[in-house]
Amino acid sequence: MTDPLELPEGAGEAPRRRYVLDETGFDEVPKKYRRFYRKWRGAGDELAPNEVVCPVCKVVIRSTRELRPGDRVYCMPCMSRLVVVRSETGMLEARVAY
Amino acid sequence: MRTRPGASTADVHALEHEQFLEEVHSFEFWFNAVEGYLSGLTWGHRPDTVEVPLANGDRESLITVLCNYCVGETAALEGASGLIAIAPNRLAKVFLATQVADEGRHLEVFHHRLRDLGVADPEAEVERRASRSLLLFRRRLLELVAGKDWEAAIFAQNVILEALEFAVFHSHAQDADPVTAEVLRNVIKDERRHIGFGENELGRRLAGSPHIRARLGQTKKEMDHLVLDALEETARLIGLARDEKDRLCRLYLESVARLGFA
Repeated sequence: MTDPLELPEGAGEAPRRRYVLDETGFDEVPKKYRRFYRKWRGAGDELAPNEVVCPVCKVVIRSTRELRPGDRVYCMPCMSRLVVVRSETGMLEARVAY
Repeated sequence: MRTRPGASTADVHALEHEQFLEEVHSFEFWFNAVEGYLSGLTWGHRPDTVEVPLANGDRESLITVLCNYCVGETAALEGASGLIAIAPNRLAKVFLATQVADEGRHLEVFHHRLRDLGVADPEAEVERRASRSLLLFRRRLLELVAGKDWEAAIFAQNVILEALEFAVFHSHAQDADPVTAEVLRNVIKDERRHIGFGENELGRRLAGSPHIRARLGQTKKEMDHLVLDALEETARLIGLARDEKDRLCRLYLESVARLGFA
């Protein structure tokens, strides 16, 4: 698994967009981690380039930077480690990495 | 917080995996998480949430459904507390201790809701109305715990039972009266941790010891029809449309499928 946190930024790819995360009212993790998550509003909920849905507990996971396939993220509400992949439909998805 | 070089110390996704596991399995994490959504609640809901009158038939159905939720929560309370003794490591033991606290609270708030609805003796009512399938499930789960079968018991409790509860509570909360809906939404917040613990614990174990797959497959075969029967019964009582019931079945089946049990 490629962990982009261990790679220099921009090595052969376009730089990633950065995001400032604000709290959205998600209250299921300790306060210092709340901005990394938000509630998923169902099938019509459009995800930003820095967001993926946790397949285990259906919470939206947010990152301070644009996500790309191979990235690793954590879902604290259900304690899962996930890897970002591109689905057959071209969307970013998260898969559980046990 | 130990992080990777160059990462912001406030970035949760930059935690080392071991550090992440240590953090999320701790009482410290649990306390600060539940404090966020339970603070200020009385018996699982805001004290000022308005109670709406229910028609007699709806009230009766809700009482039966809540009685079955109590059976599920009792099974998980007894199961989780028994599993602490056979948990393979400190993190799993501490996590299960937090789950015991969660399950005890769930049982308590559902009992209290039964009293709100005019049930004078909730324990007797649960006894009278409990689903046979759920009672069988509970008995089998406790046999697995007593037999010290860590993987099968975690599979039955934190994957099968919790996945069923997660799906059903979520769906029920959409159309329930305001007080019941709020109680359910706050219970669901705890259930996320429980299903995640089960799936991740078993995912790691299956990766390291593939031979346990056959045993878990047998457990699934044995338990599947019990949970699906219970789902059918609850769906009827809360008046779920067929497509919503099918969606719940799919949600349940997806969670076991991610572990390779189609």
